[in-house]
Parts: sequence; C-alpha cells; structure tokens
Amino acid sequence: MAIPTLFLVSLIVFGLQKLLPGDPLLTMAGEERDPAVIEFLREKYRLNDPFYMQYLYWVRDVLTGDFGNSLRTGVPVSTLIAQKLPVTIQLAVMAMIFALLIGIPTGIMSAVKKGKAPDYAANAIALSGVSIPNFWLGIILIMVVSVQWRLLPASGYVPLTEDPIQSLRTMLMPSFVLATALGAYLMRHTRSAMLGVLSSDYIRTAKAKGLMPRVVVLKHALRNALMPIVTLTTLLFGELLAGAVLTEQVFTIPGFGKLIVDAVFTRDYAVVQGVVLCTAVGFIFMNLLADILYILINPRLRHPQ
Amino acid sequence: MNQSALAEASRTVESSSETVLSVEDFTLSFSESAKTNLIEGVSFHVERGKTLCIVGESGCGKSVTSLALMGLLASPPARIRRGTAMFGGKDLFALSEREKADLRGNDIAMIFQEPMTSLNPAFTVGHQIAEGIMRHRHMSKAEARAETLKMLQMVRIPAPESRLDAYPHQLSGGMRQRVMIAMALANRPKLLIADEPTTALDVTIQAQILKLIRQIQEETGTAMILITHDLGVVAEVADHVAVMYAGHIVEQGPVDEIFNDPQHPYTIGLFGSIPTLGRRQGKLATIKGAVPPLELMPKGCRFSPRCPFADQRCRDEVPPSPQLGPDHTAACWYAPLEQKLGARQ
Repeated sequence: MAIPTLFLVSLIVFGLQKLLPGDPLLTMAGEERDPAVIEFLREKYRLNDPFYMQYLYWVRDVLTGDFGNSLRTGVPVSTLIAQKLPVTIQLAVMAMIFALLIGIPTGIMSAVKKGKAPDYAANAIALSGVSIPNFWLGIILIMVVSVQWRLLPASGYVPLTEDPIQSLRTMLMPSFVLATALGAYLMRHTRSAMLGVLSSDYIRTAKAKGLMPRVVVLKHALRNALMPIVTLTTLLFGELLAGAVLTEQVFTIPGFGKLIVDAVFTRDYAVVQGVVLCTAVGFIFMNLLADILYILINPRLRHPQ
Repeated sequence: MNQSALAEASRTVESSSETVLSVEDFTLSFSESAKTNLIEGVSFHVERGKTLCIVGESGCGKSVTSLALMGLLASPPARIRRGTAMFGGKDLFALSEREKADLRGNDIAMIFQEPMTSLNPAFTVGHQIAEGIMRHRHMSKAEARAETLKMLQMVRIPAPESRLDAYPHQLSGGMRQRVMIAMALANRPKLLIADEPTTALDVTIQAQILKLIRQIQEETGTAMILITHDLGVVAEVADHVAVMYAGHIVEQGPVDEIFNDPQHPYTIGLFGSIPTLGRRQGKLATIKGAVPPLELMPKGCRFSPRCPFADQRCRDEVPPSPQLGPDHTAACWYAPLEQKLGARQ
C-alpha cells in the first residue's frame, strides 16, 4: 500500500510544480533577463525535456539522495533538509509527547467521571485548547514566561547534540503551544472511545471478577479504546512533520514550515519538491506505523478466524 | 453448655440446611423522586448446593436484582431504598466498594447472558481467567495458569492446553460461555448468579451448558441463582422458583409445587396451566394486556390490571403473602385460589 502511494505522491509533487504559474528562471536571470542566459539555464536544468523525462531524471536523483540544488541559493536541497529536519522532528516529538500526556489522562478521567465536574472542566479546557490560536498563545507565553519571568528563552534553536538542556528549554514553549490543540483533539477522542468501551459487556465481566477500578479502566478499557487514539496520534504526528509555520514564525525556529513557505514564495521548485516529498514520506511512514500498531493492539488482526 | 459443644451444635444446624444468601425486603428505585419503586419488597433465600430460579418476563427486575447483589449497578441512578442481603454474616447492600470488589468473583460470581461480548477481545481467555484467580488468591502467574488449565478441563473444553492462549474471537459461543463459567467458578464461589446463561446459545448447546452447570454444582456444592424466562430451563435445574412480576415476587416455592400447584394468577398464566375453577377455565392461557409503565402502576397488587380475578381491594391494597406450604408463598388476596375464589363464586 505504501509503495503505490509513494509513487502517486511523487508524481503529484512533481506535476503540481510544473502547473504553478511563474518562472523561476526569470528570478535567477536577474535584472537583465538576457534570453541566451535563460536558454542556457533551461538547458542546464533540463527544462526543455519532455515532462516524463524530467520526472524520471528527478526520481533517479531523489533515489540517490540528490534532491537537486535550490534554484535561488544553489545550496543542495538535501543539505537544507538535513539542516531543518532534526528541528522539525524534535518539535514534533516534543509536541506529541505533551499532547499525549495532556490528552489521554484527561480523556480517560473525563469518560470515567462522565457528567460530573471533572468531565465538564476537561471539556471546557479542551474547547479552549482548540479555539486559542497558536500564534496568540505563543506571543502571550513569550511575553509572560520569557520577558516578564525570564524563565525560558523566547526564540531560536539550539541543536540537541550541542546542548541538550538548552535545546529542550528553547523547544519547551513552542512544543507546548503546538500541543494545546493536539491534546484537545486527543482528549475528545480518548473520551468518546473510552465511553464506548466502558459500557460494554466485557467491562462488566471485568468488574464481576472483582478487579480494582484502576485495572478495569487502564487495562481492560484503555486497551480496547486505543485504536482510534493510535489513528489520531499517527495522523497528527504526520501533520506535525510538515512543519508548523505560525509557531515556527513566532518562536523563530528554523523548521520545515518556514523552509517550505519561503520556497513557495520564491518559486524554488527544487526545495518545495524536496520538502513536500520528505513530508509525504513521513506521513506514509506514520500510516504504516499505525497499521503495525493496530496489529499489536488488536489480536483479531493477528489471528484471523 | 461449654464452648465446643455450642460450636458443634451450630455446625450441625448449618450443615442441615445452610442458607448462603438471604434477601429481605429489597427495594430499589432508579431515581430519587420516583414515587413507585422499580423493585419493591423482594425477599428470598438460597441454600448451599441448591438452585433458585428467578423467572419472569423481561423488565420485571430479575437482572437488576442480580446486578444489585453483585454490586454492579451504577449508583446513581440506581438507589437501594430498603432491605438487606445477608451473605456470610455481612449485608451485601451495606458494604464499601472495596469490600464488594473483594467479594466479587471470589465468594459471589456471575455468568452473563451474552457470551459473545462478555469476554475482552484484547486478552487471551487463559489470561482473563487467571487474572481473577491472581486477584483473589495471591498466586504466582505459573500457579494461576495451572489452575486456569484445571478450570478449562472442569468445564469440559476440548484441548484445554491449546485454548489457554486463544483469543475470544477464536472460540464459538458455547465455548465462550464455558470460559465464562470457568472464570466464574475459578475461585470456588459460595454463590453463583447466572443471568440467562443459555439464552444466547443454540438449543443443543443450551442443553450442554445447563447439564454442565448442574454437574459442576453437584461437584462443588455452590448455591446458585439462575435467572431465566425459559420454563424448560426452570424444570431442568431449579430446586426453588421465585416468580417475579413488575418488581415484585408474586409467588415462590419448591419447583414441583410451583409447576403442579401454582397459586398466583400470574404464575398460572405464565405456566399456561389452569386451575380447576369451573366457568373461567380456558381464559387464562394467555395473559391479557401488558405490564403498565412504572408511573401508572396501581397502588395495590401490581398484577391487578391484568388479573381476571382482580377486584377493588386488589387495586388499592398491597396483598399479603400467605404461607401456602413449607416455603411456598403467593402474594395474592385470593391465595390459595381454589378455596377463596371457589368460595366467592
């Protein structure tokens, strides 16, 4: 399933670029726009070849790790990706951990205490989590935590390998900002999945065995409520890999989001292609991971009847 | 009398007919404000090694009664208003949640109606049985597994070793109900509550499961409450029968008396047998009408709107439950029917 999807994605990524209006060569050729220069550049980048040939060249290069060079700066796209990818992955992982830590426990509590005060409180917080715009929360956090309290750095990025503590400190606020909405989605899904499971017959059986409420909820119920949670988590993580433009902008983090937006505005085809393809591969990988997790969670998929 | 003689005496009394569970005046409602209680003044008892069948149509409160005994009713909305359920010197209705959980699956166990959905699809059946054993008997994993294997043999599951690691979806409905029975009996409960254990199964499997339950009961001496609406099942396994109608026990007694000499008009209607009452003969084969909703329940006898013998007193006053024989009572103003109705006509 993953392979044909990958092929289709690569075709679309490549094709869309060709359909976009605007000519990067006009940008590259500079003020003078000598037709000879433009023609030379066209030949150099094989822009005169038929579409499918351009695609095949591109696929061959990609498979050997060569995404071409940025049309604007000449820097290899692979270098750009290698620079930005760790940033985006770190941000995504930290945001996801936050979201899971917030979303799943509150979702479980909300389902167990359905119709009572904790449920209403959790739902109200979830609603605000979804409603508050990321950039606004980010700015407020910078103002309060960084400017007033001087607890965390306001912006920038320190690689994990350079100074792990400082790296985690700089990423703390942006990942928390990203996690608010994600945590709220996860909470709502966990709640509804748990509610469905908690009213099922086997939960009554578990209680009839005299199991403690904690075991009934966290073992017997949660295990069965995990499928939709896994689905949502992997999808959200896939989205995070595409970068988070607004959050990156607010905290000036050099991630994928900023890279692709800049590339689109300057019609830097090669960069856009590389980044989009990279994101798509990440997304497909997350789907694959979800399928593997399903099989681990649900024995019915492991042992067909 | 010295201490040991006293103990000796009490032991003899106990062994002759040992009451395992005694429910008195159990009354339950599903809302604070309801004027009429869903279950009103239910009393019965079960003896060691004996089976009490609670029969009645759906909605009469038989399942709610069993869930209340297990402490599995969500409260709110359910609220026990009055009554006691004495079990091993303790009142089940007065226990804390923790004490109830310690009893459940240990001294009191339950088998449910729906074997297809009563097992957790995510865990092996061996694990699900062993889990209950480890919870109450502080065994190691290996010991619990060995014990689980014994239980699977006890419920006559073929190739039990290979079933230990099977998931519920790999077993048929009958096999799953056997697993449920093994799970319920794993800690040798003093009382087993079976809520329609065969209703969801094929007829041939029903007979097998009933036979199995009976055999195991003989082997272990467990007292059993079997809830059913199937009179064939009652005839098969019951020692005593309690007939429930709209939250009341209308009649209870030894199984042959209930079958051969029913005294409450509802029991008579339910069993489709007719008392020798001359002109009214034949009219009772079906019970006319339907159970009224709780808010329209009459003040007196709850069966009065459908009863061919009912008069004004039946509608206004709750009938007494006269003793009609050893352990045989019927909650009817006209019980025993032959004498009193015969006199009226």
